Amino acid sequence: MIIDEFFDRCLERIRTKAIVVPPLDGAMRPNNLLDESEVILGGIKCPDNAIVINDELWFSSKNQLFKLNVDARSDPQLIEGFEADISCMAASPDKGIAIGLEDARLLTGRTEGQALVDLVDHEALGCPSAMTFSSDGRLLVCQGSKNIENPTDMTRDLMQHGRSGSVWTHDFATGERSCIARNLGYPYGIVALSHSDEILVSECWQHRIIKLSLQGNRKPEAVFNDIPGYPARMIELSNSGLMLCLFAPRNRLIEFVLREHEFRKQMIDTIDPAYWIAPTLKSTQNFLAPLQQGGVKVMGIHKPWAPSLSHGMMVRLDQSQSPVESYHSRANGQRHGITSCCQIGHRIFATSKGDDCIIELSMNPGGQA
Amino acid sequence: MRSRINLSKLRYNYIPDHILGEVLTKRWADNIVPITVFAITVVILANLIPGFLSPQSLSDAGRQMGEFLIIVCGVSIVMIAGGIDLSVGSIYAICALIAVAVVNLLEWPVPIALLISVLVGSLFGALNGYLIGYLKLRAFLTTLITFVIGRAIYDIALDYLGTPIQLSWVDSALWDFIGDGSVGLIPVSFIFATIVLVVAHVFISRSRRGWHISAIGGSRRSAFNTGIDVKKVVCSTYVISGACCGIAGFLFGARLNGTGPGTGIGLEILVLTACVVGGISLGGGRGSIAKGVLGGLIVLTINNSLIRMGYHSGTNQMVLGIMLTLAVILDIRWLRNRHKVLDKVYVAPVYTSMNEPVSALPEDKTVYALNSRLSETELIGAGEVEGPEDVILDHDDHLYCGSRHGDIVRFFAPDYKKWEVFVHIGGFPLGLAFDRNQTLMICVGAMGLYSVTPDRQVERLSAETNRSYLSVIDDARLRDPNDLDIGTDGKIYFTDSTTRYDAHEWAIDSVENRPTGRVLVYDPKTGKTRTLLRRLNYPNGVCMAHDGESFFFAESWECRVNRYWYRGAQAGRLETVIRDMPGYPDNINRASDGCYWMAWLGMRTPTYDLMLKKPGARRRMTRRLPQDDWLFPNINTGGVVKFDEKGNILEALGDLGGKHHPMVTSMREHKGYLFVGGILNNRIGKLKLSDADPAWTSSTSYWGASD
Repeated sequence: MIIDEFFDRCLERIRTKAIVVPPLDGAMRPNNLLDESEVILGGIKCPDNAIVINDELWFSSKNQLFKLNVDARSDPQLIEGFEADISCMAASPDKGIAIGLEDARLLTGRTEGQALVDLVDHEALGCPSAMTFSSDGRLLVCQGSKNIENPTDMTRDLMQHGRSGSVWTHDFATGERSCIARNLGYPYGIVALSHSDEILVSECWQHRIIKLSLQGNRKPEAVFNDIPGYPARMIELSNSGLMLCLFAPRNRLIEFVLREHEFRKQMIDTIDPAYWIAPTLKSTQNFLAPLQQGGVKVMGIHKPWAPSLSHGMMVRLDQSQSPVESYHSRANGQRHGITSCCQIGHRIFATSKGDDCIIELSMNPGGQA
Repeated sequence: MRSRINLSKLRYNYIPDHILGEVLTKRWADNIVPITVFAITVVILANLIPGFLSPQSLSDAGRQMGEFLIIVCGVSIVMIAGGIDLSVGSIYAICALIAVAVVNLLEWPVPIALLISVLVGSLFGALNGYLIGYLKLRAFLTTLITFVIGRAIYDIALDYLGTPIQLSWVDSALWDFIGDGSVGLIPVSFIFATIVLVVAHVFISRSRRGWHISAIGGSRRSAFNTGIDVKKVVCSTYVISGACCGIAGFLFGARLNGTGPGTGIGLEILVLTACVVGGISLGGGRGSIAKGVLGGLIVLTINNSLIRMGYHSGTNQMVLGIMLTLAVILDIRWLRNRHKVLDKVYVAPVYTSMNEPVSALPEDKTVYALNSRLSETELIGAGEVEGPEDVILDHDDHLYCGSRHGDIVRFFAPDYKKWEVFVHIGGFPLGLAFDRNQTLMICVGAMGLYSVTPDRQVERLSAETNRSYLSVIDDARLRDPNDLDIGTDGKIYFTDSTTRYDAHEWAIDSVENRPTGRVLVYDPKTGKTRTLLRRLNYPNGVCMAHDGESFFFAESWECRVNRYWYRGAQAGRLETVIRDMPGYPDNINRASDGCYWMAWLGMRTPTYDLMLKKPGARRRMTRRLPQDDWLFPNINTGGVVKFDEKGNILEALGDLGGKHHPMVTSMREHKGYLFVGGILNNRIGKLKLSDADPAWTSSTSYWGASD
């Protein structure tokens, strides 16, 4: 095994340097389930980080916090607006809420009906990208990167080969804050597994999910490698499986650009980030966005399997973190940039940050949440 | 920074990388390796061995070479058919012995000796051929057996005939002349060899049977399925090989007037090495007599030189073995990977620096700002016509366009719901123009310039221009004729966009960005085509200016429009009228208000512009990524732009959502409407123009009112 790896490493220098990405096969086989799923809320700007409080769906949209009753089919209710955009949120079992803002503020409070009460400002933490509460009431926060100001700028971190992300625990009782993992490639999703002190973190730029211990005394262990996309938030399902959101696909051209240092530096320096060769959230962009040959519309058709900088994808994992099934919106789809999801009862909802809507997943006949 | 750019420019724009790919497309490319090896060998040996290149030395070498090349020729033919012949050494020895015996002991005439020698060789070959061709035995084992038996026969015969031959004495001037004589400095055996080789070359490369041999070597089963008598042809190759051994044996006999126990030993290895080193594939199907000759020259030269330098015969064998091994490895690797290598190295990008364009974003409100007017078009033939690169209308308002199936499709006025295939040409019909008599002139991608009369007579006007002397690729042929227009002098001015890529790969030409396009002129009086302008970066649309002396043409990858004066006081003047556009221009046509319409096939993107400055990165991209993943110009958004005589931009129409016309390659104004086509679209759009002259047509603008 070790010898094999050694040989591989030696041979890599001699072999043609073909750039490959993991294939979408097996449980990852593409389908159109995301496009076929029902939109329960459309026309909302960049919905992100859905959480569940009191069986209601709370989500952020830019700098605003909304609440949506998924059964009533009513308009979402505005809870509060902040000065800066909300970058992540978490709900605790006792109706508590934690909010990370793009200006590095970290708020905690409680929810009461339509309002947030007892909001407390905590010590600032730059670039919070995901958070959750552990079973013992501590707050776990992912810091995406030390090198960028806020998560909106995350592709810059990717293009700079960012490996400065970290995971922190926050004990409100003692006010103690400690780091349990560092030097991560943009941690963008976190789950504290129930019935254990293990934490799963999605490491975006490394395309993997790693397992940490709450005490921070264990080396991160990769439990799901070679994910064919950029993993974002994940949640633990009621059957102790996981639901993982991938906000963009892996793309060979992006991987190529990541190895082209001169080109990449000049791209960062001279081009608007919206037009970079980098993962994006939106399915439609204007004509200044890069195009790959496979993405050329021929005879009015945009091939679903065309290389794309964005897509929509969710993967259900079993208890051992192996993929079981997946939900896709392919290159020609319109539910791209899925960044978070939540479960209410047996129903699963997801936010399409790229295409401005919240959808309810129509599950596969075989799949049960 | 600047020096770095210059360095990059120097490296990629002046070192002709593209020639490598072009050479690899040639069939003779395989011979380059053996020729180089031979040249190097000669240079080294000429330095090591004094007098190596002296006439006497060459003449001596030529004598032996003659015999050797004849055998190589026979084995080459066997190998091209996919076989192998190990028995040549034995047959050669037997034939030599028989020739000597016939002349010395029987004292028959020399030509009879040649005949008998060839006959015996052919008989042995026929034995091989029968066993291999008809009884389907393995060529390797069969010829190995013939080799052993032949050797045994020879040894026994030599026991009986050796002494009498040595004791006999014959006086034949012809026999001596063939053995020792020369015509000038050229030994007789070499003349024999030349005749045999020329005949064999013509046979293999020009005759029906020769092609059958190559076909069987390439794929035995397919050859059988096409009706070739495989058994007979395979058998015949061994007969030929045997006959060649007969000729060579006869020459050997004449040269030494006797044979010895060592005659022909190790010859088969030498010959086999020669064939493989020359580049004849062991698998069959690929090879030529020329390759065999090259290999023969290399092997025998090295072999003889080693002997002359006094090396032990073991060294000699070792060198042969190493050469054979290397040649076999190279052969197999090359055969398997040649097309891959070609795929990888063909695209040879150059450095191009584009100036910052004027924005075309609607919110920037520039002259180029695109809107979504083109999404309001009424669709014609949606889903029925594929790839209408250009559109044109005739006197009766019928609409014509090309299709990617090689058809010219006609939609009937007034509603354009019904359509027919007007004519089928083939290729990919692109630019269209009507002449004075309503004859349709067409640039057909991958084919040339064609005309179609109103009664559907198709005529090829031109498929070639003058060849330039230094081009590896045959640039006389029209590879991507793109758009045309007819001048007031009656000549047809048209563009051939690239010499490097076929019409359907037009967008890849942009990744390379090497200016190889041309503007050509066809003169109907002489029927000749001439190159007017060259080194253009994808010249595309052509449109005659209203002044009757000049035309506009678009240079797509440079995002500019040029004007060229072809007659009048300013004839020969070339001027760029529009530059640094945010889109890639395609066809240009006249507008009713004295201005011009220009189509944009796609838009520039900041990343692609940056990539154009990085030829090295582009080169790596083409080698390391599959084509589908290459960065392309954004040809999912196009538009139509109107400009005046001076090059001022007046109006820009777009389809930002890509609803009707994601890309636009042509537009034609006709009676107050604009008809829009796109090479990758499956529809034609018809847009009402509010301020256009409702009576104006392009034909009247060119040729006056019709009668």
